[in-house]
Amino acid sequence: MIMMLPFLTGLVAVWFGVAGKRRPCVTFWVLTLLIFAAWCQHHMTSPLALSL
Amino acid sequence: MMFSRNPARGSRVLNGLALLGVTGILGMAFAWQILYDELPCPLCLLQRVALILAGVGFLLNLRLGPSPMHYAMSIAASLGGMVASGRQILLHMAPGDPGYGSPFLGMHFYTWAFIAFAAIIVFSILMQTADRKWGDSMLKKPVPVVGVVVMALFFIMTLANVGSTTLECGFGPCPDDPATYLWLPSSATP
Repeated sequence: MIMMLPFLTGLVAVWFGVAGKRRPCVTFWVLTLLIFAAWCQHHMTSPLALSL
Repeated sequence: MMFSRNPARGSRVLNGLALLGVTGILGMAFAWQILYDELPCPLCLLQRVALILAGVGFLLNLRLGPSPMHYAMSIAASLGGMVASGRQILLHMAPGDPGYGSPFLGMHFYTWAFIAFAAIIVFSILMQTADRKWGDSMLKKPVPVVGVVVMALFFIMTLANVGSTTLECGFGPCPDDPATYLWLPSSATP
């Protein structure tokens, strides 16, 4: 699990956004969101010390 | 769709301000990290990723003009950010838990982040309602110098986060409670 990876793909999305190229920007945005979701799943599966 | 050289100027100004706000939050968290030597935990880093993703929606609104899709990007990213920050609030809400990091104005950064994500969602919904007449366009629009500066600041803050996260975690996972930068010599080392 590479923690800096979503920052890197996010940076590429920002770069394409600044350049006004929507299609590659959205592609990298979606890729970043998928990595974000996978990393969330990795970090949020331990049980909470709470009764919910 | 209205034919104008610079359509939805007012909306794009507001989106520029929203992007400046997102950049300010990222800058604040980054400055806190540097000044107080408090390293962000993995959940804190994920909240920063969600903020960057929400900012991309505002960035596209500023660069290409408002679109329901761009607002949906900001809303989706903010929902993800609320999940990450909400999880961290639940982790530390038990009585006697000091929380992670130092509080700012009485609340921890993850609580502020939860509020910020909620505010981004409300802003996007209101703007989407007001911008319904503009449709969708992939054509670049003229951006004033101030807008270019805001976009550049957002890019620089994202780049700074790439650098600091790499210094902190290298090309691997981050520990749940990081104490030192992986790629920087520890201050405890003589």
